[in-house]
Amino acid sequence: MGNDKKKNVLLKSGKIIDPVQGREFVSDIYIKDGIVSEIKEKIEIKEGSTVEINAEGCVVSPGFVDMHTHLREPGFEDEETIESGAQAAVRGGITTVACMPNTRPVIDSQSLVRYILEKSRESACNVLPVAAMTEGLNGKAITEMGLLTEAGAVAFSDDGKGIKDSKLMYEIMRYSTQLGALLILHEEDDFISKSGLVHEGHYSTILGLDGISGLSDDLMIARDIMLAVRSKARIHITHLSTKSGLEMIKKAKEEGVNITCDVTPHHLFFNDSCLTSFNTNFKVKPPIRSEEDRLALIEGVKKGVIDAVASDHAPHLDTEKNTTFKLASFGTIGLETLFSAVFSKLCIEEKMSLPKLIGFITTSPAGILGINAGKIEVGKVANITVIDTKAEEEIKKESFISKSKNSAFIGQKLKGKIICTISKGELVYRSE
Amino acid sequence: MLRKKSIIDIDSLSMEDIGLILSNADSFLEISGRDVKKVPTLRGKTIVNLFFEPSTRTKTSFEIAAKRLSADIINFSSSTSSVKKGESVIDTLKTILSMKVDLIIIRHSDSGTVKMVDRFVNIPVINAGDGKYQHPTQALLDLYTIKKRFGKFKGLKAAIIGDFINSRVAKSDISLLEKMGVNVTIVSPTMLLPEDFSGMNVKHCIDDVIEESDIIYVLRMQLERHDRKFYPSTMEYNRFLSLNMDRLLKMKSGSIVMHPGPVNRGVEITDEVMDIGGELGKKIAIEQQVTYGVAIRMAILYLILG
Repeated sequence: MGNDKKKNVLLKSGKIIDPVQGREFVSDIYIKDGIVSEIKEKIEIKEGSTVEINAEGCVVSPGFVDMHTHLREPGFEDEETIESGAQAAVRGGITTVACMPNTRPVIDSQSLVRYILEKSRESACNVLPVAAMTEGLNGKAITEMGLLTEAGAVAFSDDGKGIKDSKLMYEIMRYSTQLGALLILHEEDDFISKSGLVHEGHYSTILGLDGISGLSDDLMIARDIMLAVRSKARIHITHLSTKSGLEMIKKAKEEGVNITCDVTPHHLFFNDSCLTSFNTNFKVKPPIRSEEDRLALIEGVKKGVIDAVASDHAPHLDTEKNTTFKLASFGTIGLETLFSAVFSKLCIEEKMSLPKLIGFITTSPAGILGINAGKIEVGKVANITVIDTKAEEEIKKESFISKSKNSAFIGQKLKGKIICTISKGELVYRSE
Repeated sequence: MLRKKSIIDIDSLSMEDIGLILSNADSFLEISGRDVKKVPTLRGKTIVNLFFEPSTRTKTSFEIAAKRLSADIINFSSSTSSVKKGESVIDTLKTILSMKVDLIIIRHSDSGTVKMVDRFVNIPVINAGDGKYQHPTQALLDLYTIKKRFGKFKGLKAAIIGDFINSRVAKSDISLLEKMGVNVTIVSPTMLLPEDFSGMNVKHCIDDVIEESDIIYVLRMQLERHDRKFYPSTMEYNRFLSLNMDRLLKMKSGSIVMHPGPVNRGVEITDEVMDIGGELGKKIAIEQQVTYGVAIRMAILYLILG
């Protein structure tokens, strides 16, 4: 594998998906010196240093863009590192990730943004740092958002915490308009969610697990839409979980508010009945909600009210999950199952077209982040994923590349296997 | 029938299992009435009472039940506050398992822990109180008390009064009583109920059920599980939910009062009612529940290990 990395690659006879045009066509692709040099029906290459990959019957997609991950570095390198997270990403066909700032220290200064960019130079995929909106995620003092933007922050977020102070949130929004910065909002009302473990509903009652009402998300979504109307800020609601939140976003969009949103694969895949096993991998924030919410989210994706799918990859050690439900940490890993989970749910079960689905994990998040990614273009650096859509795999704990194994999808049979990934022009992943 | 089987929740018990436990309890009740209260049935078996949460009656009840069956029972108590991140639940179990025990009785304050333990070990596990999830042996002894008092279940009206949301007893009891054909009404204020209680039979004031109920089941206010002030005051509670003398007098003939214990005197039940004697005192079945509890637990231990 290591030897093939720098070689030229010829992808033969794959079905190329172009999510921009919504079309698919069979063709060869030649990647020379990391650049897409040719896309045409029959390419013959005689150079010996070329790796030829037979992609016949497979789908060739632009590399995926995951706009919400936690790479845990710096500070929690026992759970994940930029390097291990990037390896997990490319195994999942992802060639660009935006990483959240809740590390230790928090990504709230120029030097830390530069640190992430420096560390990720050699990593398997493109890593874009999201910087904090408040110092140390304290919810009290605004960060140097101007300097952070100049240092290379792709967006701003206090992910993991809601900002309680409405005045501060409003000032952050106003300042973001001056900078043209994107705000990624984790919507949670602490007073509602405090001590909660799971979605408040039938299952929280019968299982005796403290609930987190949908109001926790909804109250903050409502507030932030009002603040965005007033400030004209560009806001993005991440890991949307409620039907009512979706309805508010739909209405706001219709009224011209500059708002987008994403949903995670686990919120599309599971409802709160999964909790009866007390499996702590289902303990996530926001919580996996009711079937009614889940169905609404699927409709939201189908109708395009939801703009993107993002993993919210949240690595945790076994010791943080292999404990009582109350003490377990929140989060599931998601990079390696991002595509197969949504493909199984949305394309196989819900009959969504593949080009449409791929848009949610390529062009759309790239557009939200304002980056040039999610496309296969001649003359540009190759970021390409080859998928066998017919292959089915049972997700096993020991098969994950990520340093952490806390996946809600363990035991699920998922369709759609990543065959190989070319990221930053190099063949960085091939399945066995 | 119950051989090697764990008892985690009510749903996993069949009608046959329940019938077997109740019928066996009769013979074990007889043993507790003897002068020499011991049979050699479980001689050579080792049972661990693993309590991560304080308990008086459940722990003692299991201990007496085990001893009357001649099993060796070891008490292991640990306060949850000293348990760091719950890992020690697993570590404690590993230690206990390597001592070759035959059955684990466990109580823990975090819902779902008993199920986690059951997945981890290969010996039977009995849930002696699992957070706010379930407390199945309490429900079984309550059912046995009702059987002894009424001789039937179908058509009886039970009202479960008080702190529903924080109560593992309520969840097990409602599940079991409804399974047996008892009509159950929950009497609880909104803050002690789930947000959506449609589909449940709910009233908010004890006066709405006091006259018609055969069973007034008073729950303990789970003050230790309240992470904030759930309810305005004791005076407010007394006005709408407590069992006092006036209300006791309104209860129909033959009806009974139950409580899983320990009672918060002056909160759920007034002193006056707790200390009442005579004919009216016979309504109070709380001490009988404790007596029957030993018989039920003997039956369960016997059916699993015997």
